[in-house]
Amino acid sequence: MDYKYLNNMLSEMDKDLSSKGMSRREAMKLAGISGAGLLMGASDVLAMEKDQKELLKSGVDAKIVIVGGGLAGMSTAARLTLSLENPDITVIEPEELSVSYQPGQTLVAAGIWDIDDIKFNRDDFVPAGTKVIADKVIDFDPTNNRVTTAKGQVVEYDYLIVATGLQLDFERIEGLEEAGRAYSTGDNTKLQNALGKDSGICSIYTAEGSVTTWEQMQIYIDKAKNAKDGKKVKFLFTHPSTPIKCGGAPKKIMYLTNSRLKEAGARENAELIFYPNGGAMFGVPEYHDAIYEQFKREGFKWHYRHNLVAVEKENKVAIFDAKWQEKGPYDPIMRDFEVISKHERVRVEYDFLHITPDAVAPREVGESDIGSAKGWVPVNKETLQHVKYDNVFSVGDIAQVPMGKTGGSVRKQYKVLVDNLIAQMEGKKLTSKYAGYTVCPLITDIGTVMLAEFDWTVKPTPLVPLDPTVERWIWWLMKVYALKPMTMYGMLAGRA
Amino acid sequence: MQVKFEFVIYNETLDTFELDENVYSFELNEEQAQTYELLKSVDLHLYNWFKESEFFLNWIKEEVYPDFTNKKIAICDIDDISFRRYYFFKVTSADAHYDYFKKLFDIYHEIDWQDREEVGEEIVEKLKIKRQEIMIELKEEIFEDENDENFNEKI
Repeated sequence: MDYKYLNNMLSEMDKDLSSKGMSRREAMKLAGISGAGLLMGASDVLAMEKDQKELLKSGVDAKIVIVGGGLAGMSTAARLTLSLENPDITVIEPEELSVSYQPGQTLVAAGIWDIDDIKFNRDDFVPAGTKVIADKVIDFDPTNNRVTTAKGQVVEYDYLIVATGLQLDFERIEGLEEAGRAYSTGDNTKLQNALGKDSGICSIYTAEGSVTTWEQMQIYIDKAKNAKDGKKVKFLFTHPSTPIKCGGAPKKIMYLTNSRLKEAGARENAELIFYPNGGAMFGVPEYHDAIYEQFKREGFKWHYRHNLVAVEKENKVAIFDAKWQEKGPYDPIMRDFEVISKHERVRVEYDFLHITPDAVAPREVGESDIGSAKGWVPVNKETLQHVKYDNVFSVGDIAQVPMGKTGGSVRKQYKVLVDNLIAQMEGKKLTSKYAGYTVCPLITDIGTVMLAEFDWTVKPTPLVPLDPTVERWIWWLMKVYALKPMTMYGMLAGRA
Repeated sequence: MQVKFEFVIYNETLDTFELDENVYSFELNEEQAQTYELLKSVDLHLYNWFKESEFFLNWIKEEVYPDFTNKKIAICDIDDISFRRYYFFKVTSADAHYDYFKKLFDIYHEIDWQDREEVGEEIVEKLKIKRQEIMIELKEEIFEDENDENFNEKI
């Protein structure tokens, strides 16, 4: 780590804090009191304290089935257990490592954490009294209030919560068809075989993939270190056309690769290029501007509106569908020029290719009656209740809400869902509302994080009085040390 | 104070709007002019004020479209304020209209740049509802009320 830089950062942070009448000690104390809750979006310390109190329990009885036992599903189960006098909750989840700590995959991929640091077993986090069916739901029948599992078990319910998470659609990329679709955790041997050993292709979006990303990264950093004749090693990073889990992750791995290259003294021999499908660095203008400056500072290159559609592994060529717009003819009725969309395929050679795959809803959800044309479960974005079935709710990555496929969003959503589910069970009005809060701790270097917090207003919504567009060491500490225990022992206990 | 209006006429059978190329002028009295000045910076408020004002509806029924009973029309332009985007929006519309509707309909997406075709189609879907809201039905309510009153008086 560059200690001179770190000292400069600390000095800058002190100046910033003192202008707000706060010392670093006080800021750290504040961060310590609310733990990673600050990162995950606790609105204030009082709210945290309120959460720690015993919840008022409802005496209403009903059979609740939760499909999916990841962070969203299991936290919801825990919260329901705390909120009901006689909880009757069943979680259906086939994957043993379903509660593994996914935000840590970037850190594993940069050699900061080990894979064992993020592996967590589902059965160690099942709330008391909650039943677990270790199977996968393959059919939803919301008209008759039942689901069917792969082993043929029919499970009836009074209320259903869909928390299946999303799938990573690698098979959509030509040349990787045999990869199939993958989940973040579990056995992804098929995917790893399709990407190829030592092919330079990797993805942090699976736990296994984060390990191979670190392996591949070291190989190509070494090549950059030993590069001769001025030939630069090309590191490509993609961002797809669909909503994705943690929108900042494709850039985080780029920043971390850059950090490791600098550490190895090989940065001069490497070219880092970002290929996002979008036309900006970030959906929030303030964060876009900050990242844009960071990209310029670090000497990154980027090409907007490029979507990865094919890979030629043998030639080490990535093929993008590049889109642009041209001014069309004048429309006399609209009194404006039309905009004509155009696109073409662009071939780009690479040495190291980090793929962020398209994210899609599992077929059994998207193609069922509870799904929608886009696959996600259509819910009221504030109450999280299904738009068609009153006794169905959805939470986490699979819920069709704008933005927010992050743990930080889930932290807000699962409490709203539990409040509204109980209100529905008691025949009351659903008053609890999710406001779209999400958070992305954007790692910009080993030792610094820019904490991008925002909601549906598409404005920064920082929780502490510090400039949210500044990269800070304090957020790095939170990301690396505080966030995981808060998630694993706070959220999964239904309290944080 | 004179305000110029342009209108579109709804064709129920074809579910389309036809632009009436005539420009119609209306003289606002002093009080109306003051309200106009207050509302003109917020186009939808201005639209709704005219749409809900009796003086305006009477003017349309009596002078602009006297033979249009039970038809539907909509305001297309008020002086330089255009509402054409509500009626003639295309998926390939220019940036100004496209961004306006994204904001109006709270269309936010997690990724930085959404496929324009897809968002455009979402806008068109939402516009269908919005169009219904801002359409003016040229019913003969005033006459009906008067007839009712006359009828009641006779009884």
